[in-house]
Amino acid sequence: MTSRTLTLMVTVFFAIIVAIVFQQIHTSMQEQGIASGGPYDNAAAYPRAVALAIAVLVIVQILIEFGTGQRERIVVDPHGFKRAVGLLAVFAIYLGCLGWLGYHLTTTPMVFAIMIICGARQFGKMLLAALIMSFGFAFIFEKFLNVVLPGGVLSLNIPW
Amino acid sequence: MLFESLLAGFQLFLTPLAIGLTFIGILIGLLVGAMPGLGPLMGIILLLPVAIGLPPVAAMGFLIAIFVGGSCGGSISAILLRIPGTPLAAATLFDGYPMAQKGRAADAIGIAISASAIGGLIGGAVLIVASPLLARFASGFAPPEYAMLAVTGLFAIAIISGGSLIKGLVSGCFGLLLATIGTDEFSTGYRFTFGSHHMLNGFHIVAVVVGLFAISEMVHQIVGDDLLKKPDIKVERPGFGSLLTTMRHWVNLLRSSGIGVFFGALPGAGGVISSFSAYAIAKAAAKPDERYGEGAEGGVVATESANNATVGGTLVPTLALGIPGDASSAMLLGALLILGFVPGPILFEQEPQFVGGIFLVYMASNVFLLIAGILATPFFVYVLRIPKFYLIPIILILCSIGTFALQASVFDLMVMFGFGLVGILFRAANYPLAPIVIGIILGPILENNLRRALLISREGYWIFLDRPVSATLVCVNVLLLTGALYFAFRNRKRLFSRQES
Repeated sequence: MTSRTLTLMVTVFFAIIVAIVFQQIHTSMQEQGIASGGPYDNAAAYPRAVALAIAVLVIVQILIEFGTGQRERIVVDPHGFKRAVGLLAVFAIYLGCLGWLGYHLTTTPMVFAIMIICGARQFGKMLLAALIMSFGFAFIFEKFLNVVLPGGVLSLNIPW
Repeated sequence: MLFESLLAGFQLFLTPLAIGLTFIGILIGLLVGAMPGLGPLMGIILLLPVAIGLPPVAAMGFLIAIFVGGSCGGSISAILLRIPGTPLAAATLFDGYPMAQKGRAADAIGIAISASAIGGLIGGAVLIVASPLLARFASGFAPPEYAMLAVTGLFAIAIISGGSLIKGLVSGCFGLLLATIGTDEFSTGYRFTFGSHHMLNGFHIVAVVVGLFAISEMVHQIVGDDLLKKPDIKVERPGFGSLLTTMRHWVNLLRSSGIGVFFGALPGAGGVISSFSAYAIAKAAAKPDERYGEGAEGGVVATESANNATVGGTLVPTLALGIPGDASSAMLLGALLILGFVPGPILFEQEPQFVGGIFLVYMASNVFLLIAGILATPFFVYVLRIPKFYLIPIILILCSIGTFALQASVFDLMVMFGFGLVGILFRAANYPLAPIVIGIILGPILENNLRRALLISREGYWIFLDRPVSATLVCVNVLLLTGALYFAFRNRKRLFSRQES
């Protein structure tokens, strides 16, 4: 991957953001009658100005980066990249299941999976650590901070 | 008035909860500061959901103590491992690590903690004296001044936050745009809510910040290949005698603390610039036999007193004007808003006891830093030996529970994850993240005051030049921007000519 690829990715990201701003101004805000008028009624003027500023700045950034003709190569360790993707995948699955299965059923497997991704292989020790971490935090938050953690469809909440 | 405010603050501070949480905050701050990759900002972000359920002074004591402890904790790993726990401690390793190599690790840590505590107390004295004065001066400010102040804060942070000026400004504008999501205060219309009731109040700032900083940092950590490594370090507990050793460098201590307070009070400058500046000045002023860079006590005193005095300095504009000095103080400002307090002159007029309470928790944090730092050093050394494969899941659990606890909402968890991906992209492309936070905090201040100013103006935007303070701030903003552009182009030109030659 090169610095130019990353710049293009960020440009696409901001292009989408700016497009959403203008799409919302011309649809939802116009329908609500808040896209025109004076400073009190016009709720669209400020986000429009900020979006335009972003667009101009991003274009200037592209011109600077592409105008120099330089292409900085970014070296990413393939194993490290795989670990990062693995972590994001496990964490996304965990967040997706948290509301459905509840905190107690999902957290220990998530912690265990991340330890495996990190390269740890002492499974007994890892399982113990995962159990201590997930139930330890649950105890602190539920007992002392009165937080009700997601119980999931089974309504699994420990009455500490 | 100042005395009365402090006296009233004692009633709020002298409770077991407030004192206990300030002490715990220091321990947590030292812990997150010592662990490479975390730091005070991450500590505040991770524990903000815990704090917002507490009484206001106890909550602020907890968070300010994390800020104070975290600003010092980085020195422990800088001295022992030659890895600064936070960028704030980067200059500490110049002399801290050579001291450790000469078998004086305990002395170096003791001096770092003592200098941090004294620097912090000096910063606190300035905070207590300067912030009410600044608030009184700012009490005459109207919407045009506040709008221009917000622009100044944003420009300063975008310029100094590292990397390219354009990228800093883009990040800041992105934060401003995020702040517009939800119900508009003036027209009560909905902006960018896409018909979802979850978005009527916009994204929760904690969910956004946890995603941007914590999730992206964990991904950054897991890419490294030292996940199973357990550093082999040993250190004895430093003694309270380090305080006397530090006091022997009193000129250096006072000068460096002054530098720290000055840079702290400037939006965007922060602890890194102040610690490097203090080190450079201390080195220039030192006698040749002090041997800076080879384990001089004065080097550790200069950097550590400066970076902790910065905390006091940065709280001056945060409390008195509602303009945060850096990302950590922006989070403290966010916490104040969530707790129902609006920073600025009104806070000093209407809640003097609360302001007094904040002053006291800040001073107490620095006293506790000295005690806890010296007594608990062996514990932090033990924690530094914990491999990262244990640390990463701990942080992820904290992120998840903390974000969920805000509003018992799974939507906030999705927001956190989404902004985690944005944070990864921004980090990879070298877009600074701190201006996004400042943009989110300053966004409503800027937009609301801009619109109010235009409402009261009969000549449109000329109102910003009609009023003397506002006009001065406009000039400052123009100077900041042109100066930054000039230096950016000059550096680029030099880089090209060097490459060509």
